[in-house]
Amino acid sequence: MSKIQMPQVTPALSRRELLKASLIGSGMVFSGFSLYQWLHGPLQTAQTFIGKAPNYQINFPTLILAGLRELGITAAEVQGKRILLKPNLVEPHKGLPHINTHPLVVQGAVESFLRLGAASVVVAEGPGHRHDTLLVLEESGLADVLYEDHIPFKDLNTMESHPLKNLGRYTNMDTLVFPQILQTVDWIVSMAKMKTHHWAGATLSMKNLFGCMPGNYYGWPKNVLHSEGITESILDITATLKPHLAIIDGVVGMEGDGPIMGNPIQSGVLVMGKNLPSVDATCCRIMGIDPYRITYLEKADQWLGPIRDSLIEQRGERWGTVHTPFRLQPDIPAHQGIRLG
Amino acid sequence: MASFHLPAYQTALQTIQQSQLPHGGFASQPENQPRTDSTAWAVLALSAFDISDDICDRGRGYLQTQQHKNGSLSFSSNHPETSWPTPIAILAWHGVKQFQTAQQRAVEFLLDFTGAHFEKSSHSAIGHDPSIRGWPWVAHTHSWVLPTALAMTTLQIAGFPQHQRIDEGKHMLLDRQLPHGGWNSGNTITFGKELHPLPECTGIALQALASNTPMNQVEKSLDYVLGQWPSLQTPISLGWALLGLGAWGLRPANAEEKVLTSLDLQARYGPYSLPSLSLLLCAAQASHGLHSLFGHRSLSRQHSSSQ
Repeated sequence: MSKIQMPQVTPALSRRELLKASLIGSGMVFSGFSLYQWLHGPLQTAQTFIGKAPNYQINFPTLILAGLRELGITAAEVQGKRILLKPNLVEPHKGLPHINTHPLVVQGAVESFLRLGAASVVVAEGPGHRHDTLLVLEESGLADVLYEDHIPFKDLNTMESHPLKNLGRYTNMDTLVFPQILQTVDWIVSMAKMKTHHWAGATLSMKNLFGCMPGNYYGWPKNVLHSEGITESILDITATLKPHLAIIDGVVGMEGDGPIMGNPIQSGVLVMGKNLPSVDATCCRIMGIDPYRITYLEKADQWLGPIRDSLIEQRGERWGTVHTPFRLQPDIPAHQGIRLG
Repeated sequence: MASFHLPAYQTALQTIQQSQLPHGGFASQPENQPRTDSTAWAVLALSAFDISDDICDRGRGYLQTQQHKNGSLSFSSNHPETSWPTPIAILAWHGVKQFQTAQQRAVEFLLDFTGAHFEKSSHSAIGHDPSIRGWPWVAHTHSWVLPTALAMTTLQIAGFPQHQRIDEGKHMLLDRQLPHGGWNSGNTITFGKELHPLPECTGIALQALASNTPMNQVEKSLDYVLGQWPSLQTPISLGWALLGLGAWGLRPANAEEKVLTSLDLQARYGPYSLPSLSLLLCAAQASHGLHSLFGHRSLSRQHSSSQ
């Protein structure tokens, strides 16, 4: 895997700036004003909604609509929009529902957006490990939900695709190839599962975007992205795609050897927000993981969104009240030293 | 062999025929651009049912126009590294004299082409041996089960069953076989846990190993696919499972019934993509694995082309 390099968007300090900084830096420390703020302006803030969802029998449209309301997303904002929901269906197997975003959560999101007046809602995924996407739909249980309600589904692995300039530049890729549909919808909603991950530490709304990358270009299991570096690819994809919303299924998540072989853990929450790093950082805290120890979140901090607790306004439940430490595995290097202090 | 006269097959073949674009290529879905993989699969399916040599030759001609200087065919002409459709094109050209040179160049590419390989460190978390050469989906990445099995199957059909690359590929596939049977994309054990098998990967790996591996080395994998067989209904998994089992002489008695059910399921899923539909038709027609599609046809075409 390639090593982390600073992205081009991060400005280098000129000599003059350094001198200026050194002259007035100490004064700013005392005033509570950081060098970062001086260079970049006020720190970014974000809102994250946590809703309690003790099981999959609850009314998800009601909860998701409440979350959207709390996040300030109004019907006027959704009306007429074409919405694409991207669940995590990395490798479904019958009897192992904790691997994938639950179909009822996806159904709840579809219903919520339609109730708010969305012009269309489509579900789309490019499964990371499996070539047979129709079997993925069947084994995840999503097929029954989709076909009963006539909700369209698109296979992102095999759709017509087009390159976009890589706006992250953490990897060596000049362009990223995305399925065309991602450029024709108004909102992309990353509907991830709350899971630990044996290479990245945690997989949430940002890592879920690997499933947007077509297998026809990147292989199965997204080989090019693994070669370029998982962390680097997560950052590049998020920076380039700029999804509009995240909804994380943490009703039953996965602890231990995620994203496939871990065990189910009931954390009983749905986490939502417009800013993906903030949502993922909040999920990490719920899981008992320090988001600053997850490299892609630490690198995304303030560049793609805030991950500092004090800069994330919690709507709904406070993360401390739903805190459910996920088991980390000592023999997995990516799990070492990431436990929230 | 499939019952050609059944309306479901006729409809499916018609769908494929009608998907041909003016320059001979086939798109994966209506109103899409032509693709190398769709075209090669369409040619394979149509020729398996002895449908119009003209349509197939126009498809083969399109593939020839897409061939890179190094002999490969890529999924996208702007991304020559996506060379995974090359083996399917080799099969589409197989046995047709006018495309013999193109096929030969593609075979030479395939014999030279391999993934990124490396020695496993003593503290590695992965179970498989990453140094054993196979074939990747995309150049400069690691080798995986599906592209390796497809390349091996193709090279065997194209006349290289004894080549060193077949031996290496066999070694690689057996190394990637899961301890309890079956294959997935190519990871066996990670952090001490055995991963899950997948029917599509197991079917194609069995197809590739059928003529060069003792049955006792893949017995658990055959059991796995046979165990999955009753529930398989989607074209990719059903198709590769059928080809894999057929190659080992284990084609289930209800194979045709399952294929017809799968074709009917387009009422649920919508029209299948052209590669999926074509794979399913090839599996319906190939009584003993993919190899069995080529025996009679390749000889007759070669003969007629040379007249």
